[in-house]
Amino acid sequence: MAAFVLPAVLVVAALLVGPMLLLARISLNRYSATDLMVEALSPQNYLAAVADPYYRGVMGTTLAVALLCTGLTLALGFPAAYRLARMESRWKSLVTVMTLIPLLVGNVVRAAGWMGLIGNDGLINAGLQATGLVSGPVRLIYTPGAVVVGTMAVVLPYMILTLASVIESIPRSLEEAAANLGAPALTVFRRVVWPLALPGTVAGCVLVFILCMNTYATAVLLGGPQFKMMAPAVYDQFSKGMNWPFGAALAFILLGATLALTVLGTALLGRRYAR
Amino acid sequence: MSVASLRPAPAPVLSALLGRLAFGLAVASAYAVVFAPIVMVVAISFFDQEIVTFPPDSLTLRWYVNAWSQRDFARGFVTSVQIALAATVIGVPVGTAAALALVRGRLPGKGVLNTLLLAPLAVPAIVAGSALYMFYLRAEDWLDMDIKATLGGLVAANVLITIPWTVRLVSASLAGLDPAAEEAAANLGARPLTVFRRITLPMLRPGIVAAALFSFVASFENLELNLLLVGPGRTTLPVAMLSYLEFRMDPTLAAVATAQIVMVSALMLVTDRFVKLSRVV
Repeated sequence: MAAFVLPAVLVVAALLVGPMLLLARISLNRYSATDLMVEALSPQNYLAAVADPYYRGVMGTTLAVALLCTGLTLALGFPAAYRLARMESRWKSLVTVMTLIPLLVGNVVRAAGWMGLIGNDGLINAGLQATGLVSGPVRLIYTPGAVVVGTMAVVLPYMILTLASVIESIPRSLEEAAANLGAPALTVFRRVVWPLALPGTVAGCVLVFILCMNTYATAVLLGGPQFKMMAPAVYDQFSKGMNWPFGAALAFILLGATLALTVLGTALLGRRYAR
Repeated sequence: MSVASLRPAPAPVLSALLGRLAFGLAVASAYAVVFAPIVMVVAISFFDQEIVTFPPDSLTLRWYVNAWSQRDFARGFVTSVQIALAATVIGVPVGTAAALALVRGRLPGKGVLNTLLLAPLAVPAIVAGSALYMFYLRAEDWLDMDIKATLGGLVAANVLITIPWTVRLVSASLAGLDPAAEEAAANLGARPLTVFRRITLPMLRPGIVAAALFSFVASFENLELNLLLVGPGRTTLPVAMLSYLEFRMDPTLAAVATAQIVMVSALMLVTDRFVKLSRVV
């Protein structure tokens, strides 16, 4: 049986583990305008990135967008997931597929749709101007809000599907018992559904947070040139700046921050509700 | 749950009504946010004027013809299909074998191996893409051959997407299989290979079909992993669309996007006939 798993392990080792180690090594090198890269073994790229107010701002924006998106996605996704999980008709399968399709349609396609909706000549601005409420276009696109909403559209299906599978495993009889004993709907949610769904909620939030931290297409297309998040900043270093060591350091800072917050969040929630 | 602490309060009718309203509103807004951009892009693809204005003067299908006559989109589409197909053909057998070993085999360190094989989905694609980019440039130096922006280089990168999806979907469908049928065949004298070929594989077929369709779509739609690995002569469709959108959004692009939406929807509806998607995702 070991021979069965070997090819897959070799592919992942050669194309993910190896390159990641190489990238880690490169992040310790030095950039030179003439030779591009000089072998070195120094943490200076990491220190420079952390010390630079510009990249601190980029990281701050990324964290703010990711945390806000995760919170809003949970708030909107939980009711939708509950509704889906408690569906009993033949529509359930259809709604599941309908939730899954947007998840698999690329981010670029969705960003294009948002551009048509919230662009300066988009549907919302055309509507506002037709009513005569505003004289010129209201700036909706190229704002942080546009990126937050656009990112939510990308991650909501993940949250809904993750939560729905957990809520489905909570026996309905528990809710009915609480309700029969006189608990109002909100109490049933707070004392029965929420605690039992918590492992799924943590899993969904972690998944969504990771995806939000690494938003690329949505940030570029809906945030505009002035708005910078970490993933586009990493890409720019490799494609335009040619400063590979610094780009590598940024990539690992992004990866490290995502991982650290994920672990911290899981631990905090886990401890608070471990009874 | 301590039942005694649940206060038996008579539910006020108004607050219950408001609660239901808020709940319904949240569900509706969740799906509105998810579907608004998709509906919009489909609608715009039928608008007659090249500059998008609301409401449109008239509707047309000509942008679909125009989209196909644009070299970047046509070639991007062909390249993306080639890459996704090749990555699926390579990744699904490799991933299926791994899933079999991980679920049925007696291996040391199963948990670690499983995490490793799913890792490509957990590592941010832009980070993995940067790492592959550096690796390809290094390998080009050593081997003195082109790798970046070649079909081989792009297919290799996309196998990294198809393997974890296959491991995940085939493992899920293996875990749901009753081993009794296999044991019965073995008891009746079938050799392990026969059991696998005649019993296990047919029972796994839906899971494998789902894995193949998911792998194809995930690779076809991928942007971030391929972003640094494409080149002037060879670009995938999502990358071509991104560069186009940085300058303008028009009905031609909307037509390309709509074609993708139709393709993904069709593939998922087909998949759903093989495996209930509500059970595997």
